[in-house]
Amino acid sequence: MSEGRAASPLARRRRRAELQLVVASGCITGAAYVLAALGKNSAIPPRILPFLGMVLILLLVAHLAIRLLARGADATLLPIATLLNGLGYVMIARLSERLAGLQTTWTFIGVGVFVATLLVVQRVNDLARHKWAFLAAGLGLLLLPMIPGVGFSSGGARIWVSVGPVNFQPGEFAKVALAIFVAAYLADRGELLATSRRRHGFIELPEARDVLPLVAAWGASVVIMVGQRDLGSSLLFFTLFVVMTWVATQRTAFLWTGFALFAIAGVVAHQMFDHVRTRVHIWIDPWSRYEGKGFQIAQSMFALGSGGTTGTGLGLGDPTRIPEAKNDFIFAAIGEELGLLGATAILVAFVLLIGGGLRAALRTNRDFEKLLATGLATIIGVQAFIIIGGVLRVVPLTGITLPFVSYGGSSLVANWILLALLVRVSDSSARRLGEVPDSTTPSERLTAWRLRRSEHRTGANR
Amino acid sequence: MNQRIRRLTLFLLALYVVLFAQLNVLQVVRKDSLDADSRNNRQTVRDYNEPRGEIVTIDGVVIARSLPNDPGSEFALRREYPTGELFSSVTGYYTFSFGASQLERTMNDVLAGRTTEQQVKGLAALFTGADTTGSVEVTLDSRIQAAARDALGDREGSVVVLDVATGAVEAMWSRPTFDPNVFAVQNDDLLRDIFAFGNATPGKPLLANAYQERYMPGSTFKVITMAAALDAGVVTTESTFADEAEFLPPQTIDPIENYGGSTCGGDLAEVFRRSCNTAFAHIALDLGPEAMVAATERFGVGTEIPFDLPRPATARFGSVEYFEQNLPLLAIGGFGQGETQLSPLHMAMVAASVANGGRMMRPHVVAATYDHDGRLLDRTVPGVWQTPMSEPTAELITSLMIGVVNEGTARCCMALAGGIQAAAKTGTAQLNGPGEPERSHAWIIGFAPAEQPKYAIAVMLKGTDAEISAGTGGTLAGPVAKKVLDVALSL
Repeated sequence: MSEGRAASPLARRRRRAELQLVVASGCITGAAYVLAALGKNSAIPPRILPFLGMVLILLLVAHLAIRLLARGADATLLPIATLLNGLGYVMIARLSERLAGLQTTWTFIGVGVFVATLLVVQRVNDLARHKWAFLAAGLGLLLLPMIPGVGFSSGGARIWVSVGPVNFQPGEFAKVALAIFVAAYLADRGELLATSRRRHGFIELPEARDVLPLVAAWGASVVIMVGQRDLGSSLLFFTLFVVMTWVATQRTAFLWTGFALFAIAGVVAHQMFDHVRTRVHIWIDPWSRYEGKGFQIAQSMFALGSGGTTGTGLGLGDPTRIPEAKNDFIFAAIGEELGLLGATAILVAFVLLIGGGLRAALRTNRDFEKLLATGLATIIGVQAFIIIGGVLRVVPLTGITLPFVSYGGSSLVANWILLALLVRVSDSSARRLGEVPDSTTPSERLTAWRLRRSEHRTGANR
Repeated sequence: MNQRIRRLTLFLLALYVVLFAQLNVLQVVRKDSLDADSRNNRQTVRDYNEPRGEIVTIDGVVIARSLPNDPGSEFALRREYPTGELFSSVTGYYTFSFGASQLERTMNDVLAGRTTEQQVKGLAALFTGADTTGSVEVTLDSRIQAAARDALGDREGSVVVLDVATGAVEAMWSRPTFDPNVFAVQNDDLLRDIFAFGNATPGKPLLANAYQERYMPGSTFKVITMAAALDAGVVTTESTFADEAEFLPPQTIDPIENYGGSTCGGDLAEVFRRSCNTAFAHIALDLGPEAMVAATERFGVGTEIPFDLPRPATARFGSVEYFEQNLPLLAIGGFGQGETQLSPLHMAMVAASVANGGRMMRPHVVAATYDHDGRLLDRTVPGVWQTPMSEPTAELITSLMIGVVNEGTARCCMALAGGIQAAAKTGTAQLNGPGEPERSHAWIIGFAPAEQPKYAIAVMLKGTDAEISAGTGGTLAGPVAKKVLDVALSL
C-alpha cells in the first residue's frame, strides 16, 4: 500500500508546474472576460467574483483529479485545454449571453466527465479488452441520428439526437470510441496486416480476415457520415483510420491507398452532390456568391482583415456579423478581436496539445497505448485543422467544431473525455518508464483482495 | 512505429504552419484590400452610429443626409436621400451590411470626418464634443438634373450634361435606376432580397448606366472619325464623295448601305450633316487601321476615364491587328457600328472636346469638400485629360455640327429657345443583324451655344421598344437634348 504514496520528485515537479500553468490560464481567462465586458458595455461585469470563483474551482478540481489519479502525466495537457476552453467561453459570452449560460453548464459537465473518465479508466488496457464493445458503441452512436423520432437535422446535416430536453451530436463521442477500437484492433493485428499477404494477380493484399473488420468499420463510419451530409466528420474519420493504419503497419502502401481512395471519393462526391460542389465553389471563389452561400466565408475574411495584427480588442470588434460565429467560425471571431497575435496563440496552443499527445505516444512502449495516443492527438490536430483551414479558406469549408473552443455541449464533453484518455496514456508511460512508482489501482486492489479471499476460502476448504 | 509517429508530428506541424501563413496573408498582407471591399460593412456599421455629413448640389439642394432614427432602433441614425432616385447614380447607396457605393463610398472619409485634416481639427472636439463630419458639394445642378429626368420620361436611356470648360458634370441621369432610400433599411435579410431583386432586374438599375455601361454609338462616332481624318490630312474642306447607295469594302461580299438604303454623297459638310455611312466607311479605310486606332486612343478609348466616381466603363473600338484582318469591320467602325462601344458620359466628353478647342477635360462630380464649420477642405481643380484633335479641326467640326442642326439630321428638333445656336451630331446605332426585327439605340451629342460653348450633352435612348427602334437619333433623342439645354441655358 505504501509504495503507491512513495515520494517521486519528478511527479511532484510536474504537478507543481501544472498548477502554475493552470492558474495562469485561469488568470488569462478572467482578464479576457473582464476586458470583453469592458469593451462591449464599458462596465466591469456585475458577476465577476462568482465567475472567477467558478473558474478557480473548475481548474482546481481538474488539477486535483490528475494529482490523485494520474500524477505522472504530462504537465501541459490540462493547462492548454483549460486555456482553450476559457478563451472559447469568453468569446461565446461576448457573442451571446444566453449561450454563455449553457456553455457554463457544459464546461462543468465536461470537467466532471474528465474526472470521471480518469476514475473509471485507471488502466489503459482496460479499454483494449472491450474493443468490440467500443466498435458497436461507435457505430451505434453514428447511426443514432438516423432513427426517426430521435434524430433530426440542423443546418443541413442529420447529426443530431434529441433525448428529452437535451440535444446532442453522438458523432462527437463516436470518434473517441472508434479511435479506441482501431487502436486496440491494430495493436492486436497490426503485425499480421503488415506481414501476411496473399497474391491476387499482380498485387499483394493482406489476408481478408485480418483486414475485413477494419475496412468494414472504416467504410461504415465514413458512409454514415457522408449519408448524414456531415462532410467535416467524414473527412476526420477517414484521416484518422488512414493515419492509424499507416502508423501501426508501417506500410506506406496504406497511406497511398488511402489518398487514392480519398481522391476518388472526392471526385465522385463532387460529381454527385450539389452541396459538395457548392462547398468547393465557395472555397475557390466566395465573392461571386457573396449574396448566397459565400456570405459566411466572405464575412469571416472581412473579420480577420479588420482584426489585423493586434486585433480590434475584446468586445470592440463586430464578430456577430459572421453567421455561426459562436460555432464553426469562432476562430474568425478570435482573429478579429485578438488579431494575428491572438489567433497565432490559439494555433500554438493546438500544436502544443497535439505535441503533448504524440509525446505520450512516443514515450510508451505498448502498442495499444501508442496507437491510442496517436489517434487521439490526430483527432484534435486534424479536426482543428479542418475547421480553421475552412475558416481561413485553406481547404473547403466543412462544418465541424473547433475542439474546446466552439460552442457546443457534445463537442466539449467528448473532448474532455479525449483529454482524460491522453492524460491517462501519458501517466501510464511515466509509470512504465519508472518515473513514477507503478502503484496498483483501487480496482486492482479490489480484485487482488477478492482473489486472496477466494484462495483463502478454497485453501480452508482443502 | 516511433519513426512513423515522428513523421506524423512533422506532417501535422506542417499543416499548422500553412494555417499560420494564411493567417498572415489575410490579416496583414490583404488587410487593406479586404477593408476596402465595397461589401465589407464593418467600418460602415461602426460609422452607422456616427454622425455623417451631407451631400449637396451646386445649387444648394441636399441630396443625402443623416437623420435621428426612431427611438428603440439598433442604430441612432439613419441615412436619407430627400430627392429619392434623382441623384442615386451620384450619391450611391449606404447600406449597413452590403457596403456603400458611389460618393457614399469614395467620399466616406470626408463624410465621416476621417481625413487627416479633419482629425487634426477634431482633436479639440474630443473635449468639446463638436461635430467633426464633413460635407461634399457636387457639381450637378438639381434643375438641370430634373430637366433631364423629365425629358427622358419613362423611356430607358441616359442623359449627361457637362460644363465644356471644366469637365464638371452638370447632370447625369439614367433609367432604369433605383431609390437609395430603399437601401437605407437596417435589416440584413431585407437588404439581401433588395440586392437580389436589383441584380436580377433587366437593365442593371443598380449601375449608373450613364457612365458604367457602354453602348454602340452609331453615327455620333463620326465626330471621332472626322477629327482623325482632318488631323491626318486624309480629308480636307475640299474633299468630295461620290453619290453611292452602297459600298463594297475589301474582304467581304456584304456591302455597306446608307441609313434607309438612300443614295448619299457630296462635299464634307453634306456627308456629315446627312450622315452618309458610305463616305465614312471610305474615310476609315483611307485612314487605315493604325491611324484610326491611334485616333480613338487619343479620345480615351481603351483607357479608364479618370472620373471621381467608381468603375467607369472603358470604351472599346478594336485593335490594329484585329482590323488588319477585318477591314470591313474597320469600315463600319468608322461610323460607330460593329464592336465599337462607349458610355454616354464618354460621348458627352467627345462633344465637349469639340466645343473646348480640342481639349478633353477630366470629368468630375465633386466640386468641393467642406468641414462641419463650412471651411473648405478641398476643391477639385479642372484639368485636361486628352487632346484628341487640333484647335482648327475642332473649329471645323463645330461648323459641321452646326450644319447638322440647321440643315441635317437634327434639323427637326434642335432649335433652342431664344434662338440660341446649337451644334450636334445624331446617331442611330443599329443593333439587329440582317433579317432580324429593327432594334437601335437613338443618340444625339452636341453643345450650345455654338459660338461660345457652355454645355455639352449626350442623350442616348436604349433600343428596347418599337418606338425607339423605328426612329432615328435626331427625331427621338433631339427633343430630349433640346429640353435639357433650354433649361440649362435659361439659368
